[in-house]
Amino acid sequence: MGRARLNRVLAVAANTFRESVRERVLYNLVFFAVVLTVSSLVLKELSLRQDEKIVKDVGLAAMDFFGTLIAVFIGVGLVSKEIERRSLYPLLAKPLSRDEFFVGKFLGLAFTLLVNTAVMTAGLAVTLLATGRAFDPGLLKGIIPIYLGLMLTVAIALFFSTVTSTTLAAVGTLCLCIAGRYSDILLHMKADMGAAGGLVQFLYYVLPNFRNFDLKSQVVYGDPVAWSIVGQIGGYALVYTAVVMIAGALAFRARDFV
Amino acid sequence: MKAKILLIVLAAIVPFCQRRIDATLGEHRATEEALYVWSGGYVKRLSPGFENVMADVYWLRTVQYFGGQRAFAKEKRYDLLEPLTQITVTLDPRFEIAYHLGAIFLAEPWPRGADKAEKGVALLKQGADATGSWRLRQLEGYFTLVFLHDARKASEILLEASKLPGAAYWLKTLAADTLTRAGDRELARRIWLSMYEQSEPGTIRANAEFNLQQLQALDDRDALQEAVIVFEKETHRRPRSLRELPRVRTGKLPVVDPAGVPYEYDETSGLVSVARKSTMWRRPLAHL
Repeated sequence: MGRARLNRVLAVAANTFRESVRERVLYNLVFFAVVLTVSSLVLKELSLRQDEKIVKDVGLAAMDFFGTLIAVFIGVGLVSKEIERRSLYPLLAKPLSRDEFFVGKFLGLAFTLLVNTAVMTAGLAVTLLATGRAFDPGLLKGIIPIYLGLMLTVAIALFFSTVTSTTLAAVGTLCLCIAGRYSDILLHMKADMGAAGGLVQFLYYVLPNFRNFDLKSQVVYGDPVAWSIVGQIGGYALVYTAVVMIAGALAFRARDFV
Repeated sequence: MKAKILLIVLAAIVPFCQRRIDATLGEHRATEEALYVWSGGYVKRLSPGFENVMADVYWLRTVQYFGGQRAFAKEKRYDLLEPLTQITVTLDPRFEIAYHLGAIFLAEPWPRGADKAEKGVALLKQGADATGSWRLRQLEGYFTLVFLHDARKASEILLEASKLPGAAYWLKTLAADTLTRAGDRELARRIWLSMYEQSEPGTIRANAEFNLQQLQALDDRDALQEAVIVFEKETHRRPRSLRELPRVRTGKLPVVDPAGVPYEYDETSGLVSVARKSTMWRRPLAHL
């Protein structure tokens, strides 16, 4: 990638970041996530000495849940809204390729989510401090996979955003995200499906496996999680995200706007 | 202006309405509890990736349900206690405190608990199997002895606990003592004392302290009973009240139990007992 091309991608990314931080839905979701995390201070009083576990569980779950909502509901509008508002046409008339626009959009929202995840992590650390506990750096081994899962969600949302309307893109992305969280069932179904076992196995590998990104329980209980595992999850996220992004870019290239 | 006056008047009426409702229904009302999903497996399937936080939610509900029934319900029922605990531990099988406190809530005699000792012991076994925790296995042994009165089984379980990684060194001795001294109040005291010492301030410690106080009440009752017999031998009559006993008069024996309720004394039969209205009263057990 040439320097000029990189600059164009980063310009789109910066613009997407600016655009997404202006979205009211983003603030609402981040606000709810932080409020939920801080509210665990109240819940711990009702839990009979399970304060640390509850604060960590709620903090990580809020990061995962609200992060996914942000990725889906902002991600699905990234391209489709530009098409619906016709603001895409003057952009594509400039010396900017569709691929550059597409990748820039992805990077912009990925950076927004990085900032959000950092804010929520800070919220979790402050809540833990308020309970008299220090932030355990081991939690990062649970937070990084959550962020990697959010990046994949953004890629899927962006893909749907290029091929359909905002509403349908949201439905499609949510369905894939939910299906991906049930991937363990597919694995167990394989044995009972007989001849259709091959199809089930095919689905298992084709659907995004969001269970991979869930190390919440391990980090909350302080299980040893090797960085190599986080690395493997990162590799899976990178490859799968690249596949979805290439498919999305191809669909975007082929799209006729006239 | 009219709207503002109306606002102030109506706002002032709200507390009166609430007081009327409280007067009719009672200030602390136990809400009608309902459990819509009875299987932890279903809840697990409905919350992929969020099982732990759902376990926390169900645990909070378990604690609130138990506390609500124990503190506020006129007719204490603990029907939902077992399913709620089971859902919690199915969602998070490593939730040690849910096994520990859940077993206490289930095993304690009514009205302090659900009076389902077998279920409590089964929950501890389930927890020890799932987590490999020697503490849960040790508690399973304790509960088997204290609530089910099965010394042989309790001794086997304690021996099993002593072999788990990190187990306390004295568990083997305790296992042997359990077998040889079953029914001994001192052994029961030792067990509750170890539970008291191993716990942090809170519900578990308070429960152990309560059981220690109950044992103290039984000791006091026995001592008073013995004093009555001695008094009768020496004076050829029964004391009219416990206050007539020399050891009571000198302050060596209390006339009230650890809950502050006076011991009951029947001059006709000469029997001393823990008052039934006292929280220290427990169903008479042959071995205690």
